[in-house]
Amino acid sequence: MMKRIQSALFALWISVSCVLTIAAGLFIILYIFIKGFKTITWEFLLSNPGGIPIGVEGGIFPAIIGSLLLMLISIVFAFILALATAVYIVFYCESQRLENTAHVIIQCMAGIPSIVLGLFGYTVMVVSLNMGRSLLSAGLTLGIMIFPFIQVRIEKAFREFSKSVLNASYSLGVSKVYTIFRLILPQCRRDIVSSITLAGGFAMGAAAPIMLTGAVIFAPAPKALSSPVMALPLHLYILSNESISMEKSYATALVLIAILITINIFAITLTLWRKEVKR
Amino acid sequence: MNVLELKDFNAYYGNKKIINNLNMAIKRNKITAIIGPSGCGKSTLLLSLNRMLEEVEGRTEGQILFNGKNIYSISKEEIRRRIGIVFQKPTPFPFSIYKNLTYAPIYYGVRDKKRLDEIAKGKLIISGLYEEVKDEIHASALKLSGGQQQRLCIARALTVEPEVLLLDEPCSALDIKNTANIEKMLLNLAKDYTIVIVTHNLSQAKRISDYTAFMLDGELIEYDETHRIFSFPKDKRTKEYIEGIYG
Repeated sequence: MMKRIQSALFALWISVSCVLTIAAGLFIILYIFIKGFKTITWEFLLSNPGGIPIGVEGGIFPAIIGSLLLMLISIVFAFILALATAVYIVFYCESQRLENTAHVIIQCMAGIPSIVLGLFGYTVMVVSLNMGRSLLSAGLTLGIMIFPFIQVRIEKAFREFSKSVLNASYSLGVSKVYTIFRLILPQCRRDIVSSITLAGGFAMGAAAPIMLTGAVIFAPAPKALSSPVMALPLHLYILSNESISMEKSYATALVLIAILITINIFAITLTLWRKEVKR
Repeated sequence: MNVLELKDFNAYYGNKKIINNLNMAIKRNKITAIIGPSGCGKSTLLLSLNRMLEEVEGRTEGQILFNGKNIYSISKEEIRRRIGIVFQKPTPFPFSIYKNLTYAPIYYGVRDKKRLDEIAKGKLIISGLYEEVKDEIHASALKLSGGQQQRLCIARALTVEPEVLLLDEPCSALDIKNTANIEKMLLNLAKDYTIVIVTHNLSQAKRISDYTAFMLDGELIEYDETHRIFSFPKDKRTKEYIEGIYG
């Protein structure tokens, strides 16, 4: 009797949790969709913000472009470093102590609050390196934020690679570099692409790291790496926090969420496809 | 004529001694079988011969001479190109049959498409796989059966034109028909290559090898022409092993 009550309670607990989580997620998306959808027009998507205070009229075109560019810069920067770090740790590092140290540092990096990263980017890039508040400073700061995220996933993909197939390659007398580029990377490509897209979505949704390093209240779509940019999350924050326009902030949120969902679906499809191929 | 010569050779994993003071010479263009119970150091010996032992964190003492030259004075890439190895479990690369066979030649600078085609076809013919796969040479190597995969791995090891081919129980996961295929192929290969095969299967050693070495607990107990080992073993332990006393 006791056992049956226990399992019934357990079943209730897991099913209610599951329903609540899905409901909350759906509610957020639907709520934003309903509140924001009527404001979305081609003009909203394709024009600069206007009016006084700025944002009351017009659209969010520079913010969309700004966010996409920030994402692009951050993933290029983070990917190059993450790939190299993972290759070093898995295939070259001989010292277990160095490997452990690297892992601890990478985990700590993943735990740094994003606003602290913003402050770091501000002191190092904006002030010390004199890069100013710019697309580049903000993109690099976001890159530092998503670096551990990508590195961990690439390293995991490398570690899952069959050791015996790896040795078969070495036994042909080919070099490590050739093995990595011709055998391992092509096999891990899908894992790498899906980790990059997920990390890109993460970077795009972050406001804190870019507030101090490059994102501004108003700027036209950037023409150079040194221009300041608008970004969707910060624009959303300004619109709602300063009570400039609630309709427009919901519409901005909807655009941001739509882009993030698209990116996530893309990444998930890639991952699922890879699993099927493996079977 | 000896291709490989081991002198006072020891091998370790960590502090554990796997091979103890082994002296042995391997003859050119002959098939040499290494037999012995599990854990006697046969596979370790094989891995030592082309410096693959380094990849599994083993270390060695003593000398191994390849054509009279210490293998540690030759780069590990070079020694592995000239002494190929095929493992117990088939290890096809997860791409097409053709790409498996051109993987190493491309590394060694063969760029000409026609030359690559020739290499792939030639090695498939040697390994007896050509008739079976000629229409699907661009299909994934993972779709082949276990026996075909193993023959592909042997063909792949031959694409770099080694002098010696090491085989670590290549047939242990295969059925009788595939085993017979591989044995036939090895007998053919012995004309051009020196073959060293580790095997658990005594009748296999008897069928194909010219020389047989019997190892026990990391030591070489007896090494002679195969028919002598099987008909007139000198050591009591060899006799017991081939009569089936040890597992």
